[in-house]
Parts: sequence; C-alpha cells; structure tokens
Amino acid sequence: MESLQRDLAAAAAEPEPEPEPNILMLLRLRDQMKQQLMECSTAVRASQEICHGHILEENFTMNNGQDLQRNVEEAKVSFQNKTLALQRIQLMVALRNKMKENDDDSRMITETMKRIVQLSMAVIEYQQQAREKEQKLLDIKRKRFSLKKAGEQKLLQIHTMMKKQKEEQASMKVTKMMEKIHNDFEREKQMTTIIQNVFQNIIIASRVNWAEDPSLREIVLQLEKNVNFI
Amino acid sequence: MAVLRPFDKLPALNSAVLLLVSSDEGLQQKLAEAILREKKNFKINIHLATSLPLPSERDHLRPRIDMIVFMIDIKSKYSLKNVEASLAYVDASFFLGKVCFLVTGVGRVNCCSIEMNAIWKLGEIYSSPVLFCELEMEGIRVATAQRLLRMLQICAGHIPGVSALSFGSLMRSSAND
Repeated sequence: MESLQRDLAAAAAEPEPEPEPNILMLLRLRDQMKQQLMECSTAVRASQEICHGHILEENFTMNNGQDLQRNVEEAKVSFQNKTLALQRIQLMVALRNKMKENDDDSRMITETMKRIVQLSMAVIEYQQQAREKEQKLLDIKRKRFSLKKAGEQKLLQIHTMMKKQKEEQASMKVTKMMEKIHNDFEREKQMTTIIQNVFQNIIIASRVNWAEDPSLREIVLQLEKNVNFI
Repeated sequence: MAVLRPFDKLPALNSAVLLLVSSDEGLQQKLAEAILREKKNFKINIHLATSLPLPSERDHLRPRIDMIVFMIDIKSKYSLKNVEASLAYVDASFFLGKVCFLVTGVGRVNCCSIEMNAIWKLGEIYSSPVLFCELEMEGIRVATAQRLLRMLQICAGHIPGVSALSFGSLMRSSAND
C-alpha cells in the first residue's frame, strides 16, 4: 500500500535562535558525540563477532541476565522507598512552614488535627469499653461453664448416692434376715441346751444306770454334745 | 533498501529524528505537534508514515532515524494488523530499544476491539516498551509527548551514560514476571 511520508517544517522544530556556541554547549555536544560514537562502535563490534560456542554463552548470558534483573528490581524497590521517604519529609516540612504562617489555613489545619485527636480518643475509649464488656461476657461464660460442671458433678453424686442407698437397703434386708436367723438359731441352741440339761438332770436324778442300756447310753452321750461347737 | 537499519547513516549534530507509524493521520498530527511544542534544546525532525516500507526514492534525503513509534489504536483491529505488517520492514537491531509501541484510545475501554494479551505479547516478542495513552485529552497528550521526547533523546545518544539498550529491562513491569 502506498505510504505517505511527510516532513514537518524543520523551522518549527528549531529552538530559539541558537546563541553562539558557548563552552557549556560545546561540552554537551562533545558528550553527545561520545555517546553516539560508543553506540555505533558497539553495533559494529556486535556485527563483527563470530559466535561459536554460543550455547555456553547463552547460559552465561541468561544467568547474568537473571542476576542483573534481580539487581534492577532491587534498585527499583529501594528507589521507590526512598522516594516515599523523601515525599514524607517534604510533606512534613511544608506542613511545618504552613503552621508557622499562622493564617486561616493553618488554623483550619489545627482545628482538623484537634478534631482528629478528639475522635481518636473517643475511639480509644469506646474500644476500651467494648473490651471490658467482652471480658465480662467471658467471665460470665466461664462461670456458667463451671456451674454446669458443678451441676453435673452433683448429679453424679446424687446418682451414686442413690445407688449406694439401694444397695444398702438391699444388704440391710439381708443382714436383717441374717440377724433374725442368727437370733433364732441362738434361741434354738439355748433351748436345746436347756432341754439337754433338763433331760440329763432327769436321767441322773432318776438314778438309773444309764451306762448299761446302750440306747440310753447313746442318748446321754448325745445330750453331752455341746451344741455351741457344732 | 526497504528495511530500516539503525546505524546505516551518520548522525547529525545535536539533532534527533523520530518516525511515527500510524494508520490514523489526525492523531499522528496532533501528537507530532504536541512533541514539537515541548521545550527542548536540540533539533528534532518528525517523520510521519502510515505504514512501512518507506518509499525508496527519497532514501538518500532521509536522515538517520533514531526512534520508531508504532501507534496502535485500541478501537481498530486494522491498526494492529498494519503495525504487524510494518514490523517486517524493520531491521532486528532496531529492536534494541529504539522501537516503542504506543497504544492510544485507552480512555474508552468499553469499545476496545483488540485483546490486551495480543499487545502484551507484541511487546514481549519484540522486547520493546509498550506505552498507553489517550491522545484526545490535552494533559495526557502533553505528558506522552514529554515521555517520547525523553526516550528520543536517549535513543539518539544525547544523554551520556544512558543507552537505549536499557529500555528493555527498565520498562519491564513486574506483573509480567
């Protein structure tokens, strides 16, 4: 496709009529030419070099490239930080100068600052109150928890006590029965002893010779048995 | 010769040449005027073109070109295609910092018809800085003109110690790593 090429008026591009070249301008021109010469010679050298073993070179340049990139990033970051710090300092100086002037603006600034201080103190106070309420809430929760635990324990105690009572009752019945049996047994023993003694005395008092009659002898010997040692 | 080469001619004293390639001639004109209006202490020549290759009959009259700015309008896919077609006529050694992509019309994001990805990829492939601007607004136009002027100074070698080679790494944004 046809392409147009237009040169804009060179006159519009020239700066104010050039003064006679003074030293400064000459030095600047010299720096320019040095830089241009360096660029041109680099280009020439680059086109003249034969690239053999360019794979090794590739790795080398890649590693270097990464290092350099990292350095550039670090420089960028530190530059940004320094700019921020500088701006902060500038702001403070401007503020201080403004305050020294002591006109409407600075009064507004002081008022705004005072308002800010008031609001921040109010914020702090409310935050403190909120924290105290939170603490109280926590305390109450803790107490409720401990009460619940105590309640559980008491329930457990009641439970075990009731079980014990039931067991005791059950065992008491048993003991009562045992006691009754024991008492009855004692009574029977005593009665038996008495009856034994009575029979013995009857037989002895009757002056019968009990040793001769075997059945009588058996009976007397049996009566001699002490029932307490059975 | 159809291909543009960076070092095929000698530089002129205290002057720089900028080539603007864009399919929208009105915007091109406005940007060129804004650049010319800036205060500078060297001679500047701005060449305007809608696409490359430049007509070869005026080759011997043309001075050495220090920087090429490709303008892409975000509202027209044609401008992107135009730029991609013109890139073939630029020598590889130009892309060592002497080429810049300028994306215009970013103020109206709702009628954007080019993918942002395509533009980022373009900048990555050709390792050239990508600038975004909105030339309809006076303030941004002036700011862009100042930026381009500064870049042109560096590309033309007027600033000792700073070379156009550093544009590739300095203008890489950390979001792309």
